[in-house]
Amino acid sequence: MDGAPIIVAEGVSKKFGDNQVLTRVSLPVKERDVVCIVGPSGSGKTTLLRCLALLETPSEGRIVMQGVPISTPQPNAEIKAAGRAVRSDIGMVFQHFNLWPHMSVLENLIEAPLRAKRLPREEAIAIAERLLAKVDLADKRDAYPARLSGGQQQRVAIARALAMSPKVLLFDEATSALDPELRREVLLVMRQLASEGMTMLVVTHEMGFARHVGTRTVFMDRGEIVEEAPGAAFFDTPKTERARRFLQQFED
Amino acid sequence: MFKYQFRWDTVFGSFDFLMSGLQMTLIVSAITLVLAMIFGLIIALFDMSPWRILRWIGITFGEIVRNTPILVQLLWVYYVLPIVFNVRIESLVALIIGLSVYQAAFISEVYRSGIQSVPKGHTEAAQVLGLSPLQSFRRIVLPQAIRMTLPPLASNFVQLIKFSSLGAVISVSEITRRGMELSASNFRPLETFTFIAVVYFFICWPLAMGIRLWERRLQSR
Ligand SMILES: Nc1ncnc2c1ncn2[C@@H]1O[C@H](COP(=O)(O)OP(=O)(O)OP(=O)(O)O)[C@@H](O)[C@H]1O
Ligand SMILES: [Mg+2]
Repeated sequence: MDGAPIIVAEGVSKKFGDNQVLTRVSLPVKERDVVCIVGPSGSGKTTLLRCLALLETPSEGRIVMQGVPISTPQPNAEIKAAGRAVRSDIGMVFQHFNLWPHMSVLENLIEAPLRAKRLPREEAIAIAERLLAKVDLADKRDAYPARLSGGQQQRVAIARALAMSPKVLLFDEATSALDPELRREVLLVMRQLASEGMTMLVVTHEMGFARHVGTRTVFMDRGEIVEEAPGAAFFDTPKTERARRFLQQFED
Repeated sequence: MFKYQFRWDTVFGSFDFLMSGLQMTLIVSAITLVLAMIFGLIIALFDMSPWRILRWIGITFGEIVRNTPILVQLLWVYYVLPIVFNVRIESLVALIIGLSVYQAAFISEVYRSGIQSVPKGHTEAAQVLGLSPLQSFRRIVLPQAIRMTLPPLASNFVQLIKFSSLGAVISVSEITRRGMELSASNFRPLETFTFIAVVYFFICWPLAMGIRLWERRLQSR
């Protein structure tokens, strides 16, 4: 089952001014892993994801992609170049979708393949259409994002990330901004990706997804990884008091 | 109430004379808008520049222009610039320079808020997907910013039409100046200036209404 590590956070710390948001977080994500990160608000989950997506620079430690360091506190030219080279291998899906509102769904999907990958237009369109069919939105190809429901927008955002064929896909609370009845359609797509062997790192409040789809659950609190367990084990036998208290919130 | 014999024929008799003034008003406003858009972009880039000196220049310029009266600026360009640089400046050129500098200081703010209105998440998505900063600015930020700035730019045009009447003070023969000249010869200021006010109103009002509708349409998208 165990694949090679795709992306690894090695002792990553992050400070905003005096605010220590992450403290020496180490987290390897292996091929075909579906790592779910759970934890209370403000525990640093988003910040960790943003460090892995190269949207933040760690204050300490480093990010390593398939053995190559791609982000350090003071990156030299070589590391910066390595970061640029793997840019499209790391996809991210945001809580608020972040679709580009002035472009149609199809244009959203082909923009990066055309400009960052320099794919021929026909090829980019063919890929986009295949992905739209996969997220069940083939008929929305020419619609503008504002005309879509939140669930549809998030599925377009997932398709847009997939269009760059990333090696790992990061999800930051992809369903939190959605009404409960729209969450299912997004979770279904995520579940399908997981079953196809996509490597995923998923920050979520959906405990059901973490338990049933995740291969590993990571519990974060106050900028640290407090507990880590494979699959459902975290939910059945939490080892720390903090994790137990966190899980109690979700029991009815 | 005093009894007044309206003599509108004194105004309509000089219709062509006044309309040539209106033509001048519109030409001045259009040229000034174009110059102010270009000049405003330069100031906006200064304002947002990573270099402190440029930012300081841009901000200082904007503050000075926005916090002194436009009429004083016009008089300054017309009477002071020629002394300082020892050149003759035509009144028309002085009006265009004065108005476009003034309007540029406001338009630069329009650009800046247009660019800043694009949510950070849009450029972060572009960055994660591998677009370069330049590609992201050109393809993601600019098209959205332009859409946001078009209605305010049109409003600026309406303002310019009104401000260009200040050209009368430095004897640019736009419509207000023509009115002053006409009323000096026909001794009918009431009819003359009422007619001119009506002309301004029926140009500015439909434009302003159109812009308001346009803005509402953009917001509901
Ligand atoms: N750009 C920033 N500048 C300053 N402080 C920040 C910044 N981004 C995050 N923080 C702070 O870092 C801490 C952790 O934030 P983060 O968003 O990573 O938490 P989170 O676990 O994702 O929380 P949530 O579940 O609410 O999304 C918070 O206290 C937040 O205020
Ligand atoms: Mg968060």
